[in-house]
Amino acid sequence: MTTLVSKLRQSTAAAVLALTAATVAGDAFAKDLTITVWAGGSNDSDAYRWEAIEMAADIMEREAAIRGEELNITVESKGQFGNWQEFKQAVTLAAEAGTAPNIVVTSHLDIAPWSEAGYIVPVEEYLDLDAWPLNDIYPNLMEIAAFDDVQWGLPQDAESRPFFFWKDAMKKIGYSDEDIAALPAKVEAGEYTLQNVLEDAKKAVEMEAVEEGYGFYPRVSNGPDYAQFYQSFGGELIDPESGKLVLDKKAMEEFYQFFADAVEAGVTRKNHLGTDWGQWYNEVANGKAAIWHGGTWHFGRYAQEGNQDFWNTIEFSLIPAGNENGRANTITHPLVYLITDNADDEAEEIAANLVKIASEPRINTLHAIKSNHLGISKQQSNIELYANDRWADEATERLLGYANSQPNHVNYGAYSEALFKGLEAAWTGTKTPAEAVAEVEVQMKATLGDELIVR
Amino acid sequence: MQRSSWLGLAFLSPALVVVLLFFLIPVVLTGFFAFTNMSTATGVKGGAYVLNTSGLRALADAGLPKSTLEQIEGAGYRVDAKGLEALAADFGQPVADEFASLHDGEVFSKRRDVERALKDLRSNPIRKTRDRKIAADLFKRSLLNERFDTLPGFEAALEEAGIPDADRPLITQVAYTGWVWTTENFGFLMSLDSTWQYAKNTIIYVVFTLSFNVLFGLFLAIATFYLPSGQAATFRAIWFLPRILPPVLYIVMWRWFTWDTGFISTVLSGFGVSPRNWMLDTELHAWTTIVLINGFVGASMGMIVFSSAIRAIPSSMLYASEVDGASRLQQIWHIILPQLRWPILFITSYQTMSLLTSFEYIYLATDGGPGGATEVWALAAFHTALNNYGGNLQYGLGATYALLLVIIGLAASLAYLRLFNFRNLIQKPRIEG
Repeated sequence: MTTLVSKLRQSTAAAVLALTAATVAGDAFAKDLTITVWAGGSNDSDAYRWEAIEMAADIMEREAAIRGEELNITVESKGQFGNWQEFKQAVTLAAEAGTAPNIVVTSHLDIAPWSEAGYIVPVEEYLDLDAWPLNDIYPNLMEIAAFDDVQWGLPQDAESRPFFFWKDAMKKIGYSDEDIAALPAKVEAGEYTLQNVLEDAKKAVEMEAVEEGYGFYPRVSNGPDYAQFYQSFGGELIDPESGKLVLDKKAMEEFYQFFADAVEAGVTRKNHLGTDWGQWYNEVANGKAAIWHGGTWHFGRYAQEGNQDFWNTIEFSLIPAGNENGRANTITHPLVYLITDNADDEAEEIAANLVKIASEPRINTLHAIKSNHLGISKQQSNIELYANDRWADEATERLLGYANSQPNHVNYGAYSEALFKGLEAAWTGTKTPAEAVAEVEVQMKATLGDELIVR
Repeated sequence: MQRSSWLGLAFLSPALVVVLLFFLIPVVLTGFFAFTNMSTATGVKGGAYVLNTSGLRALADAGLPKSTLEQIEGAGYRVDAKGLEALAADFGQPVADEFASLHDGEVFSKRRDVERALKDLRSNPIRKTRDRKIAADLFKRSLLNERFDTLPGFEAALEEAGIPDADRPLITQVAYTGWVWTTENFGFLMSLDSTWQYAKNTIIYVVFTLSFNVLFGLFLAIATFYLPSGQAATFRAIWFLPRILPPVLYIVMWRWFTWDTGFISTVLSGFGVSPRNWMLDTELHAWTTIVLINGFVGASMGMIVFSSAIRAIPSSMLYASEVDGASRLQQIWHIILPQLRWPILFITSYQTMSLLTSFEYIYLATDGGPGGATEVWALAAFHTALNNYGGNLQYGLGATYALLLVIIGLAASLAYLRLFNFRNLIQKPRIEG
């Protein structure tokens, strides 16, 4: 009996030794890893969304080599999805099937539902948020990538959504160069409101500076932009106290009314929603519209569409206030890097660290400038490529300070769908603004239940 | 079973697999999804149990006693004997001793603060970020943001935290992230105005497209029947083109045709008509385009079926009627149409079913616009369950739309069978008798 026990002891000891040796030696073995990155809403100029991860992988491999480890990371990236819908469909279905990419670049609005579903893991599980470069990222951007006090992701870029004026059209309706230059400040002070927009757009059409329907030429599909107009009339998206979504019926109706009035006055086309994006970009870049709104990345897109002279042809400002209840505002809708839940914990850790390295100011600046987005961290203004770029500089100054974001809330998607559906109905005249708001209220109450406050 | 029967079954098996994979399973799953609240946030495969700040808020709203809420929130991170012991076991006694001397009894609200405290230790063997987080978690005394994959694990944690038994069912319900069975989807859909709008749109779509399909198909079949055979074949081939054109290409051409800067606008601008989007300008424009787009495709099918049915009519009957002095119209009315009853029934019921569920051309052309005017039921199901900008896909609700459509489809087929007196139709044709 004793021999048996001692033999057992011996073999256990041997096994433990062998195991330890294997673990220690394991460090010296080569580690091969494939990290996949999927980026939504990206075109060619956004390639640094995944190329930054490739650069980070290179740095990480070098760091490992210095420690005496051999680490081989293969980055596989995919940035071509038809549109946001298809991208999100692809990610959610892949996550359900257990084949999700390691890193996704997506809207910060996906954090709430995807964390609830368990598709993603918080980056704060792997990263020291007090260490460089994360401690240099703007706190408000970090907050946008957090949900319920947990840091789920890291901001990948920043942007904001300005109002644009075509200078020639404004001159034709009586503005001098000085008047135009003073517009951004007047918008900011609330002296130039959406009612003035309507008047000027009407003049532009009447005085034939632009064709009918091109006085005010908004975004052609659903997007964060429309929440800005709700805010212009004093609407709030979320109640900061209770964390519940807010439907401000008065602001919503006034916001719908503004678009209905624009259609009525002939300055916006009734069938505008659904216009082809390609056609839209081409038209606004080349002066077919008097006033419109878009995003900071449009700067580069307009050049592609043949307008190389942005500064002499276009003025930009915040989205004007709608009335005395509202304020001039702009929404920033940063994309975020998220790490998906993976069976391999080490892959998650490496992915999180890759994202961290990709957030270094110099690497992020490559993306910011190439794609005409704004930077994510303070030190980027000390990088010449960023500091010397007039657009990044002025847009940051004029817009980013006033920017807020849409709330990270599990049901915000449903809220935003309902808001847009109502707008569409009022815009195309299938419902009056009041009827549309009534329908939105029913829809929101039903889908959001206790998570909605109606004012 | 005889060997030949097995062989037959083997030959059939590819078809059976296809029917199973692409028809039966989706239908069964739709029926099943329709009774759940499944969405992106709940996931498909089931959930976990986690209490986050949103959950706490919901619990407070549901009237959970404040004391219980505080118990869940707990102390955050507390440096106590239990934690220090674990720290000593994992990272060595000196670390635990120094940490105790600096922070014993202290309470941190966030893990980040514990990490900072650990970082400040002088004798610090914890260098890796990941290890520091593991060390900090040893002091966690809160249920917040802890994800439990199984119910027993979650219940054990509630037990450990000393949550009163009476409050546990509610907490478990709120903490569960997965989907649950529900029958509320049906009532919810019925309560929405937009649902009735989709129903109305679907009726408009089916009635008008179907009428166009059948009448135009009939017209083409009869018209080509009276043409010399060479010309007839050419005409039929031309009318068959929309069907063999790839749908995406076919719609792209329609868009070019109807855009503000497209063909119609360009031609009409010569006559002083201001350019407009002829597809999306008003509801009437949108419906006209949708009916025409679908109609031209559908009519070709009617044409083929009716043409062959007309040819099956014994020519002697037609000759006889001509001898009796019947005009073309009389021939059509008294001889051709009565004998096309069965093909007309077939085309009508077949097309009703396929129109009810089809939305691909609408999706590509107007995507339900303008202002949801052409959003038909099937398209709404697709948008709700699989394709919307927010990306929070509501599988359960979308499946409910789809299930209702299946029920409507079945009811419509039964109605057709009664209306056209199916039993008489499948009797032996009298012509050949």
